[in-house]
Amino acid sequence: MTQFNSALHPAALMYAEEERAGKLSRREFMTRATALGVTATAAYGLLGLKAPAAAATAAQGGTMRIQQNVVAMKDPRTFDWSYLGNVARGWLEYLVEVNSDGSMRGMLLEGWEANDDASQYTLHVRPGVTWNNGEAFNADNVVWILNYWCDKAVEGNSMAGRMSSLIDAETGKARDRAIVKLDDMTVQLNLPASDITVMVGMADYPAAVVHPSHNPETMVADSLGTGPYRLESLEVGVKAVLVRNEGHTWWGHSAEGIGGAYLDRIEFIDYGTDPAAWMAAIESDEVDMLYENVGEFLDIASAIGWEQSDVTTGATLVFRFNQKTEVDGVAPYADVRVRQALSQAVNNGVVLELGYSGRGTEADNHHVAPVHPEYADIGRPTFDPSGTKALLDEAGMGDYEFELITLDDDFNRNSGDAVAAQIRDAGANIKRTIMPGSTFWNDWDKFPFSATEWNHRPLGVQVLALAYRSGEAWNEAAYSNPEFDTLLAKAMSLADADARREVMAEIETLFRNDAVIIQPFWRKLYRNFRPGVVGAGMHPSFEIHAYKLAFSA
Amino acid sequence: MGLFVLRRFGVMILTALCLTFVVFVLTNLEPNLEKLAKTQGNARMSDEQVQTWLSNRGYDRADFVKYGEWLGVLPGYVIEGADGETRSRCLRPGVDPEAAPRFCGILQGDWGFSTVFKEDVSKIVLTRLSQTGKLMGWVMLVMVPSALIIGVLAGMREGSRLDRSLSTVSIVTTATPEYVSGVIFITVFASSAVGLKWFNGSATSAMEDITFLNFTLPVLTVALYGMGYIARMTRASMTEVMTAQYIRTARLKGVSFRNIVLKHALRNALIAPFTVIMLQFPWLLNGVVIVETLFNFKGFGWTLVQAAGNNDIEMLLGVSVVSVFVVLTTQLISDIGYVFLNPRIRIS
Repeated sequence: MTQFNSALHPAALMYAEEERAGKLSRREFMTRATALGVTATAAYGLLGLKAPAAAATAAQGGTMRIQQNVVAMKDPRTFDWSYLGNVARGWLEYLVEVNSDGSMRGMLLEGWEANDDASQYTLHVRPGVTWNNGEAFNADNVVWILNYWCDKAVEGNSMAGRMSSLIDAETGKARDRAIVKLDDMTVQLNLPASDITVMVGMADYPAAVVHPSHNPETMVADSLGTGPYRLESLEVGVKAVLVRNEGHTWWGHSAEGIGGAYLDRIEFIDYGTDPAAWMAAIESDEVDMLYENVGEFLDIASAIGWEQSDVTTGATLVFRFNQKTEVDGVAPYADVRVRQALSQAVNNGVVLELGYSGRGTEADNHHVAPVHPEYADIGRPTFDPSGTKALLDEAGMGDYEFELITLDDDFNRNSGDAVAAQIRDAGANIKRTIMPGSTFWNDWDKFPFSATEWNHRPLGVQVLALAYRSGEAWNEAAYSNPEFDTLLAKAMSLADADARREVMAEIETLFRNDAVIIQPFWRKLYRNFRPGVVGAGMHPSFEIHAYKLAFSA
Repeated sequence: MGLFVLRRFGVMILTALCLTFVVFVLTNLEPNLEKLAKTQGNARMSDEQVQTWLSNRGYDRADFVKYGEWLGVLPGYVIEGADGETRSRCLRPGVDPEAAPRFCGILQGDWGFSTVFKEDVSKIVLTRLSQTGKLMGWVMLVMVPSALIIGVLAGMREGSRLDRSLSTVSIVTTATPEYVSGVIFITVFASSAVGLKWFNGSATSAMEDITFLNFTLPVLTVALYGMGYIARMTRASMTEVMTAQYIRTARLKGVSFRNIVLKHALRNALIAPFTVIMLQFPWLLNGVVIVETLFNFKGFGWTLVQAAGNNDIEMLLGVSVVSVFVVLTTQLISDIGYVFLNPRIRIS
């Protein structure tokens, strides 16, 4: 990535100070600094470190088989699974990319810079990028894709949420003059207020860049994109195959610091959600890497001799009460006393141990992770099972039979059992229901009390905005508190992590007092792969970067 | 004979009509349609969004009309949705709207479009059925001869040591369901836990290339279960024949035991097992559901599970039609075959 600013962004220097003072983790520093347009090398330089060297030598060619669910392809902006992004990444690329260490780098953008209060971004298009139909990739394409993301009217377009500061609330489209083409290779974003999440939003898996002629119904057949591969076949639930796009010259080969696309063929093979089947696949020599591995199966995979890669994240499992869902005419969780009573019955440490074998860190029921830069430590949540029954009686729900519904997969189920058991011990009636994926996903956002898996996001404010702001599409807790919304809007305009942390402390306290969720732990994520596989390290958002994969020489 | 076959086909069509209509009504129940909308549209859709989604695609109309469209006796819907987009039943992705036919039901050879697999139902049914066909073929090849041999050997001399031991084996295999024997096989023969690792515990690669390694365990799992059953039937039939008058006569005349079994007893003893074997085909079609899921082999059973789990209406209807066809065809074969084995019975 070329550095355009002659001077470094002032905030980057500030972050470096914070990192030295121990306020920021190195990962968070990398995310923040590179999001402001500082190159990864320069960012490491600010810490007085040398940038890490590229991975071991990779051999050219070969077929990599990856265990991963294969779901039906759809319009990228409506992607709802990381799986989709991983397959699409073969031929559709992203403007920017977040790496496992939290640093960002430009892909289709060569670089970008922000003004001092992060309300104006200048994006520089990478020269030399072509679509596989021969057209050149330029600023018009960037302007087009940004407008494409900003279309709020499209059902399930989650990019609209990520680009919300570019969108006019009235028209549901990008604001006038928000996206401006300066010249053929430069685009300027003008935001009404500072927004620090715009660039990381462009790296998330629904942000795959498609051609202006894109048609979701034919995208599987034509594989029109900029990437080095093309989709050879996709059979839902069975297999998806990427093969090298022979006629296309991929820009990455000549771009500095990118390189790759070593493999001739990449196969994603569906083995369902049962980890035992993944182990059988490993033992049968049918795969070279897993999408993810969990629980006790980590030990099995290691025993077979596979390598393990892990990453500490803000990925988590949240037990949320839906405050609006009615059961037999009453909304059992509308009353904060009920929610508080249930959450104070649960010791998060116990759930971490029983539900996730201690493979993570304890969380504090406010969905801001210690790895987030703006994390404010407000202490552990109240743990007082003895008070649960009294509080429930007070709310008139002492004899009510609660129901906790979770998905039938390893850690969802076990954590749910641990939560329910503790609630039962505290004297409340609770029923446990475990559903297979086929039935769980039909109604999951309406279940009154259930568990939702959340992926990692680089900034703490991002999840809060997606999941708990009033009326958001992904707010399955049905939480709506104007005070929370106001505070969050304030936090999202503060570029300085220290200033933001003060607001975050308020938000976290408010949120926890409202007892919106029981959040037992932050997960460490793991992935196993065959020895000799290169570029397959676990990513905090489960991303698999097809062009980085290879077998070692 | 010709009339008999013709009548059987009539029954088949009638059964298929009844069954598909039942499946159709069940899959078109309100909650099932909602499930469909959620899995196809977006897991986080609101109730109003679900309603528009359904009405945009014509799901909210009367069941008889929709069934008629599927059959091809009524023209397919063309609906201008609330979002301004025009959708048509007969229009496949990437096809020019002008070129779409007016009728597109099973009578026109159009099996519909699978919402889960995003493919023509006929294509999915064909690929998946051929996968299951491979599995069934190998199962039959292993199961039938071994079951007959065991049954005949056990039934030759009722109560002998050979009979007792073979009967025990067949009762044990029949009494062990596939989901038990399959798991035991995987643990013992395929995992590092025991360390034998003779075979593969996953049959995914067998979809493209069947080898001894990847197909032995699934075939064995299904075959063993069915084998015990057929062996028991054969044994019962064999012991009955062996006590018949004509066998005693033959023995008194001094015919060797070998000749009695092969020339006199066997043909009569095989009549009953033949029907049972033909009955195994429809049973296999369902029985493979567990084995295919366990060994991750994407065949017909697995498709059925996926379609049912996602309320894929047209896929489920396609599966029903195939099932009716398989059940009734095998019964037809069994009836006709019976005549050849037992001359006393005539088809009139």
